[in-house]
Amino acid sequence: MTVVIPVVRAIHIEPVISATTCGYGLAAKLGDMRDEPARAATAIEVADFRQAYGDFEAVRGVSFTVRRGEVFALLGTNGAGKTTTMESLLGFARPRAGSVRVLGLDPAKDGRALRPRIGVMLQEGGFLGDLTVGETVRLWRGMAADAGRSSMAGTLEMVGLATKERTRVRQLSGGQRRRLDLALAVLAEPEVLFLDEPSTGMDPEARRGTWQIIHDLRAAGVTVLLTTHYLEEAEKLADRLAIMHQGRITTSGTVDEVVTPAGDQIHFRLALPPAGLRERLREGLPFLDGTAATTAHSGDGTRVTYALPASPEAGRAHAALRPLLDWADKHELTLERLEVCRGTLEDVFLRVVEEGR
Amino acid sequence: MRTDVLHAVRLARVDLKLLGRNQTAMVNVLLLPLLMGWLFSNVAAGRQIEGVPGQLYVITGLPGLMLGFAVFVNMVNTFAARREELVLKRLRAAQPSSAAILGGAMLGALAVFALQVGLVVVWSMHWQDGGAPANLPLMLLGALLGVAIMGLLAAAFAGITPNAETAQVAVLPLLLVVMLGAPIIGPTTAMPGPLGALAEVVPVTPVVEIMRTAYLGRDFVGTGAESLGMAAQWVAALPAIGIALAWVGVSALLARWLFRWDPRHG
Repeated sequence: MTVVIPVVRAIHIEPVISATTCGYGLAAKLGDMRDEPARAATAIEVADFRQAYGDFEAVRGVSFTVRRGEVFALLGTNGAGKTTTMESLLGFARPRAGSVRVLGLDPAKDGRALRPRIGVMLQEGGFLGDLTVGETVRLWRGMAADAGRSSMAGTLEMVGLATKERTRVRQLSGGQRRRLDLALAVLAEPEVLFLDEPSTGMDPEARRGTWQIIHDLRAAGVTVLLTTHYLEEAEKLADRLAIMHQGRITTSGTVDEVVTPAGDQIHFRLALPPAGLRERLREGLPFLDGTAATTAHSGDGTRVTYALPASPEAGRAHAALRPLLDWADKHELTLERLEVCRGTLEDVFLRVVEEGR
Repeated sequence: MRTDVLHAVRLARVDLKLLGRNQTAMVNVLLLPLLMGWLFSNVAAGRQIEGVPGQLYVITGLPGLMLGFAVFVNMVNTFAARREELVLKRLRAAQPSSAAILGGAMLGALAVFALQVGLVVVWSMHWQDGGAPANLPLMLLGALLGVAIMGLLAAAFAGITPNAETAQVAVLPLLLVVMLGAPIIGPTTAMPGPLGALAEVVPVTPVVEIMRTAYLGRDFVGTGAESLGMAAQWVAALPAIGIALAWVGVSALLARWLFRWDPRHG
């Protein structure tokens, strides 16, 4: 039996990382960041922030800063305190302790000065359902200090709702409402944009469109604070991120800094069910770099994963592949759909949740 | 300040547009008080109440009933529904100030109330020989005080109302107090014992007294309903204006204490 390893034949570890499904052009994004040293000024500053509702302490001492012109993502499980943090940044509630500042202003005290400079996309709802899309945008334009430069048609075109101007808001789908929400948030050309789970309910195409809008806003110098459940969204968009769990930030940094400790992963599929595999291979699957494989049923075969430990050394996965290929040759097995990925944000996220239990 | 007023006007215009699209609200807010007024006025037909024809007395008291429906019930429902649907939260996150958002809602209610009072005036002039209002500025003041009191009370009641569904029930106690306690179909002095004294301090009572005094040019704040000159009408209305202003203060405190922007928490 021949070992077919088309992907591996072409492997140089770095290119494979960006070519597989878990790659996302990180280097290009980091390059952008390095090109913009002038954006060092702080747009959002949260220092030892605590918030409680009655006896329940929703946020327990959170600190982070968001620099001007960067996209910062707050990730976390439900009830982690993301929305509470965002709502305090919007001035809805005064901090129980610590401080929050947006553009140097206290949101709870200086709301009148701050609101014209920020845009907000809430987690859900908030529309007058009996107004049409056009009437809603006109209402918001009428109440925005700097909406003069953005036309109604341009605003609706941007979010793909140009044909919906006369449609009542209640007749829009969930995803369309989110897009309208985004349009209203950016209408007044804000300096800081707060996006609370912006692409929830959107179809993949609309989600990509939303990401592009956020990317363009960032390129125009808008600071974005984003909360999301979609880890891919954070990976795509965020310059830096923080993962919250049970009211605390458990890890933060650039995507790379957060993900690196998760290590690399090697995945492949064998066209044998686990029982057949055990029968065929009395010694079992090999250890790679001291790591045992985990297996799972995959159709009529077995999905094999090696989660290699984190290491600052480059090429560790590359080194681990050699004995794997030798092993496959020796046993005349085909490593189907062989992939080498670095650890994902999802791995880090799940580890944070697991450790918090 | 100017921006707040502009924002409030925009929001009030939207409120009126939405009211026009909601047939149920139109019936509750516009038609129901007029229908009840027609029934009450027919009950009072052929009688003299405080020196004026019964039907005219009832019709000039209808603004009190309309404050209950067009302002109080309408605004409790609006605030509760918009809080539940996160509209209030969204507006608060946008550029209008809190004052502009609440002011816009009150301005919309004031417009509806003004329309209803206009209908009452037309009704009175054409079918009851009531003539034109004797003191329009005093009538306007009464209307503004009435909308302020009932609007702020609506904000407070909306705060203790869990959702839009229960708002329908939450408004009933105050609505009944307004309908039975305020001198809409008869003077408070006609009520037995301490009920008459209590009726004097029902929030809508001073408003009805001011507006009826302003409309008919007679003293309906004190007793006797004697005819008064323009200046004397203002003097006669002072005690009622004082009580109404006290109610504005109390209602504002209650609204500040109880009103909630967000269904999740205060």
